[in-house]
Amino acid sequence: MSLDFVLVCAFVGAATGWLVRRWIAAARRRKDGGCAGGCGCATKVGKKG
Amino acid sequence: MRIDTARLSARLGGIPVVLASAWKGEGVADVRRAIARAAEERRLLPPVVWPDNIAEALSTLQHDVAADTGQVISSAEAQRLLFDTNATLPERLGWDKERRDPAIRAAREQVRRSGYNPLAAEPLVHYERLRKALEGVVTEGTGKAGRTAAVDRLLLHRVLGPILFLGIMLGMFASVFWLAKFPMAWIQAGVDALKGVVGPSLDATPMLQSLVTDGLLGGVGAFLVFLPQILILFLFVGLLEDSGYMARAAFIMDRLFSWCGLNGKSFVPMLSGFACAIPGLLSTRTIEDPKARLATAFVVPFMSCSARFPVYALMCAAFIGPLYGPGWESAVMVGMHCVGLLFAVPTAFVLTRLVLKVKPQPFVLELPRYQLPKPRDVLWRMWQNAAEFISKAGTVIFAITLIVWALSYFPRDPGVADRVRAADPAASAEVLAARTQAAYVEQSWMGRFGKAVQPAFDPCGFDWKITVGVLASFPAREVIVSTLGVTYSVGEGAEADSGHLQQAMRDAKWSAGPRAGTPIFSLGAVLALMVFFALCSQCGPTVATLAQETGGWRWAVGSFLYMTALAWIVAALVYQLVSRLAPPA
Repeated sequence: MSLDFVLVCAFVGAATGWLVRRWIAAARRRKDGGCAGGCGCATKVGKKG
Repeated sequence: MRIDTARLSARLGGIPVVLASAWKGEGVADVRRAIARAAEERRLLPPVVWPDNIAEALSTLQHDVAADTGQVISSAEAQRLLFDTNATLPERLGWDKERRDPAIRAAREQVRRSGYNPLAAEPLVHYERLRKALEGVVTEGTGKAGRTAAVDRLLLHRVLGPILFLGIMLGMFASVFWLAKFPMAWIQAGVDALKGVVGPSLDATPMLQSLVTDGLLGGVGAFLVFLPQILILFLFVGLLEDSGYMARAAFIMDRLFSWCGLNGKSFVPMLSGFACAIPGLLSTRTIEDPKARLATAFVVPFMSCSARFPVYALMCAAFIGPLYGPGWESAVMVGMHCVGLLFAVPTAFVLTRLVLKVKPQPFVLELPRYQLPKPRDVLWRMWQNAAEFISKAGTVIFAITLIVWALSYFPRDPGVADRVRAADPAASAEVLAARTQAAYVEQSWMGRFGKAVQPAFDPCGFDWKITVGVLASFPAREVIVSTLGVTYSVGEGAEADSGHLQQAMRDAKWSAGPRAGTPIFSLGAVLALMVFFALCSQCGPTVATLAQETGGWRWAVGSFLYMTALAWIVAALVYQLVSRLAPPA
């Protein structure tokens, strides 16, 4: 296994992990009633009664 | 303008009146102090004096409730019963529907007899009260109000208004394309220069070299090129908004929305949807009627959000502009922003009139006076959007680009080069290198997947690379730009590195089948691709937010399937029709 391959796998693996973590965090925020679209709208809405 | 604060305060029952200007940021501290003082002194506005028929209707309703349920309701509660189409009070009171409906209907009939539409009576009475309170209090000094009214007579004209609106939009997009041309070329040159510097320094590690030059610089670079267009677009949007014209645009659009049966309050979510569907969906919470709310939420994703902009911009810059001239670029851009609206209107009409049977509600919109835009606010808006665009390029687009690159690069079968050489031993080394790169992408995971799915998109004129771009864009639309950047960089070999994505796309040709030798990106395919992106539900967070806002996955999945199927059908129709009218050469 070359260093080249190891580096590439590390970058791609880190990117995949980061995306997955981001999606899980977004789902949690949505569950709390806030905007989790990553749209930069900064909408903060309280949970519906 | 002069405001007699003492007189107004006296007319409002002693409630303190202070002068403040949000635009200039003046008087905010005075407002704060006045609120504190009014709260301390417990001063309240004198109650509204309702016209006789309305007052009688309210009193009758209070009596009916007491007679049917044995409960006493206040005048404010009776107003909700009378003026709201979807008050929750009857359920709370346990008022039997059989007795409640005729009572409310009779009360509304009584309101109608006094010349008011029962659903608009409340704001109209309040406005009349404000008009009386302001009589002699406000003195116009400069005639600005007169000028505003004169301009509005033209800009809000029933026929001229929409035509002028369309003209302003055309002018805006034409300016965006024209002004952005030079900075876009500079960014492209910068990306190319970076490739020239970084590429050779990674010669010892070819895999990493491809990841950096083809993946990151090819993909993220292709996306970042559109930053000047985004900046200039938001400069114009800021100027229109601050000058007071956007509120007029809202008024013009509201006519259309009310015609298709949407609630007046649906307008704000729909307008927000043009920036991003998610805040648009969240703002449907202001609509009380759940049916109207559902109908609005269903059509908000049709509005052409800013994520679609880079897709349209790429296609216009690569094909429409070079082939038909800059005038057509802006016309196509305006057209694409209207496509969503074109399908949202009949969808809303069917939903509100036939499926959900939504009751219409009036909408009151205050039109501000025209004023000179404030540079600080316009620049701030530009900066916010630029920061959002750059942050997206550096995070989500960056990460997805790395994954798309890996899927387009692996597996790397060492036999591919030998097979390419064996097929045409006489070819030059340069040609062989380019063919080998193309063969590697075709046998990559992405290539295999794209080719397997491509037949489904063949009627729309999409080849396997476009198909891959379309599928990769389901989490976020703009991903197609970087995905095409990666697949065309990885697949086109060494000589394509110096070229741009747009040139690579223009050069792409069908290699097999009845269209062999003809351009993949024909006019039909380009328009079909744009129409597909205008209508398809390609945004994971929007679908999830729709599920959250509608309280389940039923409507979200329904919207996703409906929009995606509609996008496919319309894109296929556009491709087939345009290909017959203007066959690719």
